[in-house]
Amino acid sequence: MARFSELTGPTVPAEPEVVTRIDAGQRRRRFWFRVQFVLVWVVLIGLLVGALWASDKIDPSFIGTWAPFILAGAGLTIIICAGSIVLATGLALVGAIARLSPNPIIYSVASLYVSIVRGTPLLVQIFFIYFALPQLGIVLPALPAGIIALGFNYGAYMTEIFRAGIQAVPRGQREAAEALAMPEGLVMRRIVMPQAIRIVVPAIGNEFIAMIKDSALVSTISVTELLWRASSVGNQNFRTLETLLIAALVYWLLTMVFSLFQERLERRMARSDR
Amino acid sequence: MTFRGRLALVLGATLALTGCNLLPGGQVDIPNVVCVGEATTYLDWLNGDLQPDEQDPISQPASTSGDLLEQVRQAGVLRISTDQNYAPQSFLQPDGTFVGFDIDVGTRIAEGLGVDVEFTHVDWDLITAGNWAGRWDISVGSMTITTPRKEILSFTQPYYYTPAYLAASTRSGITSVDQVPFELPTGATATTLPTDANCIESIQAGRPEFDLLITSGTVIDGAVAAGQPIVKIGEPIYQENLSVAIDKSGPPHAALLYEIDRIIGEMHADGSLTQLSQEWFEGEDLTQVATP
Repeated sequence: MARFSELTGPTVPAEPEVVTRIDAGQRRRRFWFRVQFVLVWVVLIGLLVGALWASDKIDPSFIGTWAPFILAGAGLTIIICAGSIVLATGLALVGAIARLSPNPIIYSVASLYVSIVRGTPLLVQIFFIYFALPQLGIVLPALPAGIIALGFNYGAYMTEIFRAGIQAVPRGQREAAEALAMPEGLVMRRIVMPQAIRIVVPAIGNEFIAMIKDSALVSTISVTELLWRASSVGNQNFRTLETLLIAALVYWLLTMVFSLFQERLERRMARSDR
Repeated sequence: MTFRGRLALVLGATLALTGCNLLPGGQVDIPNVVCVGEATTYLDWLNGDLQPDEQDPISQPASTSGDLLEQVRQAGVLRISTDQNYAPQSFLQPDGTFVGFDIDVGTRIAEGLGVDVEFTHVDWDLITAGNWAGRWDISVGSMTITTPRKEILSFTQPYYYTPAYLAASTRSGITSVDQVPFELPTGATATTLPTDANCIESIQAGRPEFDLLITSGTVIDGAVAAGQPIVKIGEPIYQENLSVAIDKSGPPHAALLYEIDRIIGEMHADGSLTQLSQEWFEGEDLTQVATP
């Protein structure tokens, strides 16, 4: 439903003054709420940074020498996440449709995949692909092994999310499409999937944010990404406090940026609800 | 019980417990735990299981066809594994490159073979476990030759020798072996961390589980120079032969082993190993067999 202020046309009456004043009041309150939110964050973070500075245990020149090397690892982290997101989304779409299939063989295979991958820890899967597969003759370099492990793992979780999203689309939509003699593929592609994607965007966004943080596990197989660099430099120079703070800060910023994108996407998709 | 009664009981118990911790003479209690790296010979020594060895005799093979040497020459690059946190043998620079004694020796070996060099940084216990799955060709990582390791890895002649030393944290106040309140190695309990460098970090972090550690003399010297709170105590407990290793479960490598052995022999003869050792180990030449 559109706001009074968004109505257009020749017969629309002037907006009553009481509505304008209520709107303006709400906007003012929201604005000041946000200002105070930012202020509290600035104060809390400022106190934390100030306390660390005053304790004199942080060496700024050390941070200056090593920060470029550590931050360069963020690039590899982003590459790992991007690769895993693509793989996971592909697996999830196929898996969700398989999990809804009336064919017992397809359904069972997909269920087995989801059950095994959700039932074993991600770290075990990463080690398995990198260390155990060579015993069977499959040797993968570290970076592809990490991306495949992450993508495989998150594909299983996202399969269930997509499946739930597809099932949440009102049955009436599918019935109406079938009444128009739409073939099954077109029903999925033009009617069900777009609505399903709108429903699952918050959950999928959460999964991607979790994936950004889980990419740190790939450091255990010697991929020279952010955490590997931070812990190598920290251990070598006996200054893990500085390096791990840098790594934590970068992960936090990455997830914040991603959350902002997700919020905007959700707002854009919810426009038709108003 | 009244509030004051409970307070008195708790305070009394705390004082009693702290009093019990102080031995007569006011000496700090030293746990009989010694820290070592997991996949190192220092653990073997503590368990009474050290089996140091010489390398097997190396002879030139009849042909080089199908050998790892040919694969390396064809690829144009020698892939070497090393531990990235083992100053001064191999450690990181701010621009992302690795430097150190092992890095320099590895680079010279690749030059001798006429190929480029590429360093892979791998966990130490993966290197000593064998089964490298072809991820890298050789290991130049200050690996000690021992009988169990010879079953899964082929070794060249040693490129240098280091003494293994006992070291103590400064807070324990130990400066000589006589001050250690238990027998070594029989009375000691070993605790392991992934590598012996982690033991020094633990002491620096103030962990109370152990005050003694065993590692190579060069690592202790490097740590003391970096200002870490440890001291080297006593004489070396044993000498290590440190060599280049190749995985026996990989492709046939008799020719590569012979070539690398020959290159190391040349480096010993023309003094370049001595020069590298003096550069990285503060003027000490560790490439000669120590006189007993």
